[in-house]
Parts: sequence; structure tokens; C-alpha cells
Amino acid sequence: MGEYDVIIIGAGFAGPVAAKKCADAGLRTLMTERSENVGEKVISGLTIPIYGFLFGPSFIRDGNPPIERPVDGIINYIIKDIEQGDMEIDDSLKIPKPFSPVYAFGYNAYCKPFCEWEARKAIEAGAELRTSTVVTDVIMEAGCVQGVITETGEKIRSRIVIDAEGSQGLVALKAGVRKRYPPETISLADVYDYEMPKDRLDEIFGFSLRFCWGWDEQRCAPPLGHGNGLMVWPYRESIHYMHDQCLRMDSANVPNLRKLLSEYHGNITSKLPWWKEDVAPHARLRAHMWEGFEIFVGLNQELRSMPNHTDGMILVGDAAGLESTELCDGVPQAWISADMAADVAIEALKANNTSRSFLSRYDKRIKAHPILQWSMSGTNRFNLRYAQQEHDLAKLRRYVHDGWGLGALAHLSTPLVKTACRHVMANPLILMKWRKMFHRYYFNWHHGRFDYSGAPAGSREGARGRKEDARFRASFRTKQILLAALTPLLWVLAMLSYPLAGTLNPAMKVLLPAIEPVYAAILRITARLAGWLSRRKVSLVVNSDPSLFEV
Amino acid sequence: MGMKGKTARVSEKFPGVEWVEGTGSFITVDTQRCTGCGNCMKVCLADCYEVAGGKARIKGLDLCMECGSCWYVCAEEAIAFTWPKGGTGFRTRWG
Repeated sequence: MGEYDVIIIGAGFAGPVAAKKCADAGLRTLMTERSENVGEKVISGLTIPIYGFLFGPSFIRDGNPPIERPVDGIINYIIKDIEQGDMEIDDSLKIPKPFSPVYAFGYNAYCKPFCEWEARKAIEAGAELRTSTVVTDVIMEAGCVQGVITETGEKIRSRIVIDAEGSQGLVALKAGVRKRYPPETISLADVYDYEMPKDRLDEIFGFSLRFCWGWDEQRCAPPLGHGNGLMVWPYRESIHYMHDQCLRMDSANVPNLRKLLSEYHGNITSKLPWWKEDVAPHARLRAHMWEGFEIFVGLNQELRSMPNHTDGMILVGDAAGLESTELCDGVPQAWISADMAADVAIEALKANNTSRSFLSRYDKRIKAHPILQWSMSGTNRFNLRYAQQEHDLAKLRRYVHDGWGLGALAHLSTPLVKTACRHVMANPLILMKWRKMFHRYYFNWHHGRFDYSGAPAGSREGARGRKEDARFRASFRTKQILLAALTPLLWVLAMLSYPLAGTLNPAMKVLLPAIEPVYAAILRITARLAGWLSRRKVSLVVNSDPSLFEV
Repeated sequence: MGMKGKTARVSEKFPGVEWVEGTGSFITVDTQRCTGCGNCMKVCLADCYEVAGGKARIKGLDLCMECGSCWYVCAEEAIAFTWPKGGTGFRTRWG
């Protein structure tokens, strides 16, 4: 018997999810974190995609985490000539009004407050947290992990360990479970944070992200397919700017990143028309930082097959190499895998069996999860390099459209619908929770209302002069009741749709070229009405009593 | 930045980041293995490395952001990368 039932290494995005679930199950749970304050070493340009919130841990879905801005679309700029300001725009991926912006496809967040919020939930559930604690190795006895060893040599014993250390994964390396990733699979993300007044952000960015893709000779973004172009995320009163580049190129050269990344930043901020005109006059640089992440690990079969568990230990999130190759995002995968790992840990301790063969059910669940598998295997970002090498504009347009335009539906539809069906089949009432979540998150964002005291906006709950619309309250409740009444029907619908979901991606591939122009025309024709409805919806939501949206 | 805890250094070069002292030598170069290729120097945005006499040398880890890039690109595995002592090293609230 260990001092603890479970030790979780790392309190980033994944660790606290596992810790909370284990503590909720009554396990003696310890979470270690190498930094002094949770989240202060976590760096990202961060839109957390919506599938993390929908299909991830219930306490995040049903809670009030600190978010910076809902996201309803991506504007892609294909820069053909930065000197002339010559570029093409693909802004086809957008949640249409009137659904947007209350219904979002992701939420932007600062890492530190979000991780702290998560960790606090884990502590409230009974988990212990030890900060300023570096775990350097595991206690290996009788071929099984039996706890951890810290840098001071202290041994802390537990019945099982969940490793949520992050992408470098030094503990798993030391334990001989995994190998160091080759540099061509690692990207260095160079991140700038600019303060900017909220009204300017609302006007210029609204709820859209801006991505820029440029030819190598433009010297304004990293070479296509070797990381990202430039990405700009609007937050509440700031923007995050990130470009990232792989540590080794196809040519086997290691680029001079210090010189290149600073050159790209200089060119973008001095030459890109919308940056010069719309952003620069209002933005003030607040922070510059960087982090490496395992961008293309999922595309390498050998790396992808490295173990994500061993006797007595389960790896989650970035430590298990679960970064999305396409969206360049690891948070939903961190949440979903940590949730699964906690389930498996609880089952293992109940069965008193933490052997590798018992824990292999974790690997099976990871491999059976449509979203996790899709996120590991998207190739658009990687394939951009072929457009680059051939300098083929048509190819570049296609990859951008298929990755971050409406063409993404030909890749996304099957995993999203499959996962949604699974959740509805397990509990159809989840639809009511999802609906409440979108409304609550928008309300919270608008009013800066988070159950977290350290959130940058602070709590501004009880916004002045709110006048709730009684009809909206009645109609919101009626629709919730209707959803509940339709539960058996929705369950049947999910059961019937699930086996057919596999055909959605191929069907989208065939049909999208025909659907897209029609869809665009409908959006154009209905734009005024949809805009009015969207504004009305926002006004009703932000003036409501937030208890309406609580679960 | 008003973060609670130990006092820390800041740098004009990289605003919004603090470095807490007492990290220890958490990155080291094995000069026997090092071929002086300079890859570590090229990927280090904090400019921690120099190559002198055909070998890489750490000038100082003062501005290191613990990304591990130098370690990833070292084909000779001459660079040993560990974490700084608990509660030390870089920190930011804007990540």
C-alpha cells in the first residue's frame, strides 16, 4: 500500500482533470507541479476547440472557467505578396448567425488562470497539490511503478501514477517507457501577447481568429508545412500572436530560428496591411515567450505506437504525444485522455490490478475515440510543404480550405458526429447541458463572471442595469423541457445515426463543392435578418439571470 | 508582475516573463560528445549558447524558457536537459 492511491505528475491542463476525478472517487490523490504557482510555465496561443468542452470532463462543461473570448470563425489570409499587400482570403469556416456568437466553435483562454481554476476544482474535490516539486523518476519495484522520486531524492509511494508532465516527457524517458521525439516533429511556438482595448478588438476581430499563410520568399511566416504560418487570437482585452516552426526541415537542416522568427515578426508587424492599420495603432506589447510542442508526432507511425502506459503508470495529454497535427492544439486531447486515465486508474485500483495488461484498456479507449484519432492524423498542415515546394497556389488554397476552411467538414464530420452520438446514446439529457453551456459561457464572457478570483477581468457579476426578459426565460425553459421530452426520440436518432456517421466524411467530400456556393448564397441573402436575430439573441442572453444557465 | 512568491528577475528583451533564481545547472553540454555543429545555438531564442573552439558552451541560462529545443536538435545527444529546481526558472501569466 502506498501513501497515496494515485500520484499525478503535473498540474497543467490534463493533471487536474485526472486528479479531480480520482479524488471524487474517494482515492487518496496527490498532484505534483514543478512550478511555484500552477500554470505559470504553461504557454500556448490558445483556442480550445469546442469538442473539448462538449466531450471532455463534465466539471468544465458544467462550470464557469475563465475564458477570454468565444470564437466563431477563422479568417485565412494567403499572402501572395506582402510588399504589395496582395493576399487572398478564405473565411468560409464560420458558425453562421444567428447561432453565432452565442454558439461558438471554441473558446480562447490564458493558460495560467485556466489551469489554476482546474487545479482548484481538484483540490476542492479532495486532491492534494504539492507545488515547487520536480518529479525526476518513478519508484520501480517488482517491474511495476510504485510511486515517484523527486529531485531531492524523496520517495512518495502510490498504487498508481498518472503522468501528465507535458510534451518533453522527461519522467517517461527516464522510466524507459518512451523515447525523445526527433526534431522534425517538434515545433517551437514563438508567442507575443499584446494589450488592446476591448472595443477595438470587438470591432476589428469580433469573434474570428486570423491565420496567415505565406510563401517562404515573403519572409513573413515560417515555411509552409514546417509548423504554422502566423496565427492571431483575439482575447478579451489583448491578442495573442504566434508563429511556430519545426526544429528540423525536410532538407535535414536545423534553421536559425532566433534570426528567422524575429525577421518574420518584424516583417509582419511592419508590412501586413491589417496589422499596420488596424492592430499596431492600438496594441501594446506586453509579453514575449515561447514553448516547444510535438506538432507532427501523430503522423509518425513509430512514434505514435510508443506506449502510453506501463505497469503501474498511465500517460496522458502531451506526455502521451496527443497533440493535434492539424489544429495544433492539445487541450481537448489532454482533457479527454486524463478523464479516461482516471476512469482506468479507478477501475485498476478497484480490481487491485495495475499491471500493463489491465491498463491496456486505456490504450484501447484512446484508439477507439474518434476525436483523438482524427486529431492525431490530420495531414493538411503537414502537406502545405508540398504546395510550398511546387509553389502551387491552387494546392495551397485547397490545403488551407480543407484544413481551416469549410472543407474541414470532409474530415471533421465523422469524428464529431460519432462522438456526439456516443454521448447522446449514453445520456440524451446531455443535450440540455450542452445548450446551457453555450449560453452560460457567453454570459460569463460578456460579464467577466468566472468562479475564479485570479481571472484577468475579475468578477463583474451583477452587471449594472440588467433587465431580464421574462419571455426569453420562459422560452429558454420551454425549449429545455421540449429537449427533455424528445429524449427518447433523440436517443433513437443517435442510435440510428451512429453506424451511418462513417459515411459523412466521404459524402461531404463529394457534396461540398456543390453545397458551398448554395450555402454562401443563403448566408448572403439572409445576412441582415440573421444579424438582427443574432444581436437580439445576445441582448437577451446577457441580460438574463445567469441561474437560468446553471446545471 | 505582482505574482506571489519569490522575487524574480525581469528582462527588457522578453517582457512579461520573470525568472526566479536558484535553478541550478539544469542544462549541460558534454564536451566529449559535442561536435560543435551549433544547432543548439541556432534554435535557442534566449541566446544561451555560443560555440567556441569547436564546442558548444552555455553562456548562461538566465533567459532560458525551458522549451528543450537545444536538447531535441542535438544529434550527438551531448546536451542533458532536466528541469530547473522546483519553483525556480521562468514564469509568466500571459501564456
